[in-house]
Amino acid sequence: MKARTPYSLTLRLALLLASLSFVVMGLVGAALYNVLAVQLRLRDDAALVARVEQIRALLKDTNTLELIHRKPTLFANMLNNRESMLLLRYPGQPPLIEINPNHADIPAPTPVQADTPVQMSSVAHYRTASDIPVSAVTARARADGAAGEIEITAARTMLDRTRLLALYRERIFALALAGALLFALVGYFLLRRGLLPLRQLAAHADTVSIARLDGRLDGRDAPRELLPLITAFNEMLARLADGFMQLRQISADLAHDLRTPVNNLLGQTQVALGRPRSVEEYETLLASNVEELERLIRMSDNMLFLARSEHAQMAAEIQPLPIAEELARVAEYFEGPAEERQLRISVHGEGQIAADPILLRRALGNLLANAVTHADVGSEIRVLAEHGAHSVTLAVENHGATIADEHLERVFDRFYRIDAARTQSTTSNGLGLSIVRSIMQLHHGAWQAHSAAGLTRFSLVFPNPPL
Amino acid sequence: MRILIVEDEPKTGDYLRKGLQESGFVVDLARNGIDGLHQAREEAYDLIVLDVMLPGLDGWQVLTRLREDSEIPVLFLTARDEIADRIKGLEMGADDYLIKPFSFAELVARIRTLLRRGPMREAERLQVADLQIDVLKRRVTRAGTRITLTNKEFALLQLLVQHEGEVLSRSQIASQVWDMNFDSDTNVVDVAIRRLRAKVDEPFVPAPRLIHSVRGIGYRCEVID
Repeated sequence: MKARTPYSLTLRLALLLASLSFVVMGLVGAALYNVLAVQLRLRDDAALVARVEQIRALLKDTNTLELIHRKPTLFANMLNNRESMLLLRYPGQPPLIEINPNHADIPAPTPVQADTPVQMSSVAHYRTASDIPVSAVTARARADGAAGEIEITAARTMLDRTRLLALYRERIFALALAGALLFALVGYFLLRRGLLPLRQLAAHADTVSIARLDGRLDGRDAPRELLPLITAFNEMLARLADGFMQLRQISADLAHDLRTPVNNLLGQTQVALGRPRSVEEYETLLASNVEELERLIRMSDNMLFLARSEHAQMAAEIQPLPIAEELARVAEYFEGPAEERQLRISVHGEGQIAADPILLRRALGNLLANAVTHADVGSEIRVLAEHGAHSVTLAVENHGATIADEHLERVFDRFYRIDAARTQSTTSNGLGLSIVRSIMQLHHGAWQAHSAAGLTRFSLVFPNPPL
Repeated sequence: MRILIVEDEPKTGDYLRKGLQESGFVVDLARNGIDGLHQAREEAYDLIVLDVMLPGLDGWQVLTRLREDSEIPVLFLTARDEIADRIKGLEMGADDYLIKPFSFAELVARIRTLLRRGPMREAERLQVADLQIDVLKRRVTRAGTRITLTNKEFALLQLLVQHEGEVLSRSQIASQVWDMNFDSDTNVVDVAIRRLRAKVDEPFVPAPRLIHSVRGIGYRCEVID
């Protein structure tokens, strides 16, 4: 995929604001324009109606007709406007008076009858052949001494109105555009200012490094909108810091745990080589070396197991297994060491469990190995299974010294030893329970440790998928 | 039985040769892939122990070229404990593998199994000195006296007697008797052996002991005069 230049939030918002203001101002302008256009037309129509009525009234006077015949220009002056037109004639005859300074075509709408008052609705609107807008109204009138009814047409070309409205439209458009530009500019700068906390956040995040994971983003002066981000970011930092701390601790622990066997190997071999010794002494040395080496191998195996299971390179091959058989197998394996300490291992459980057989045995084995080591001499160790609605819990219970809560929280951590001094001996490497935890993670299950009143219980909760 | 070891690491090569010679094999050692392939083609061996990480021609290449005209059993050694690696080796025609670090007893056991070709015949009756095992009836007697054993004790004794003279490592025993395929930081095998001795050896002193510890390696069933 081609990398895209990331868009600017500021620019985007400013443009959006500008477009919005342009649209709003344009709409307002259009509404005002409409009102103005309607008002103008009403006024012009009313003027036409008034003129026709005025002439009708004038025609009632006999002299008027004479006057028309004698001095038609008098009427022309009366109109006092180059856009106004007036036509007086007997229907179907040449006009008595035609005032038409622009020489436009004078339309002839349906005439209003002589006795009917002229209404605003009688005004008709046309466009001439040369596309000039024209309003016109025609009415008939009875005149004293006339041969019949006279037809009066008053009209008006709307050129000045059209020009006025066009100017008005342009102004509105220009104003809206100017407003939009202003909004865009002002918006851009305001947004830049408003987003300042984001840039500060980025600058702060920039200073976070592995060496400085303890730093946290300061949310005190940040706007409310950024607080969730800051909180989430800080929580992520905390998790990372924890993870790195743990890794560092593991490396240190591992190095420390390697030291003991390596030191034994080196020391006892050097001492042995210090002077000639009997064959038996050499054999003893070599056998002891083998023990230390096996310890190292177990440790590296366990570390590898943990590393792989945590990087999800390993998938549990989950299959239905008979619980009773699996528990009995592990219990039988530890029968010998248990009897050495007069312990009895009792197994209670039936039904099926969904688990990886090899991993399940390993997890149970590690729990039982601990139980056999720490149980009170002569007590009973219970290995049991409990079926829940959506899970199966396997538990190992033994009677022994109660484990304090502070230890219980950490027993599943790598290299965590409750009694550091005691277990420095060759048997345990402090990884058994962390392997149990990894195995349960591979099964998407849970692990718990309880200890109270001399009874310690480790439980493994396996989710029960539909098989 | 002639074995060819192809291994470039000097110490590893040396101890493998020495150890296998002392286990009764005739052993040649090649210190790189090209020599190893050449020797394997020129001479008649019964088995090849092949290291995967070799300079020049690596173990996979040696194996591929070897398989063009030979069916000789090959056991490969690898330090890389990746499942993909193991599968690759077996698909390319290797017969077995061991991951470094491995116990020497384990190597010898694997070699013996490969040389035996095919699964071991399940004997119905086993005998060592005056100890007799009836596998079908699951009866054990020594010097005519019936010995009562638990299932696991019986399986352990049967395993030791079947491999009479061979050293079995603790992990081999745990795997074969209990089907537990991991090192559990426990002394389960030692305890089981101790209990087995208490039934099989101790009551019959001064008759010779049959179950022996091999320090640092494991256990062996043997009649020592």
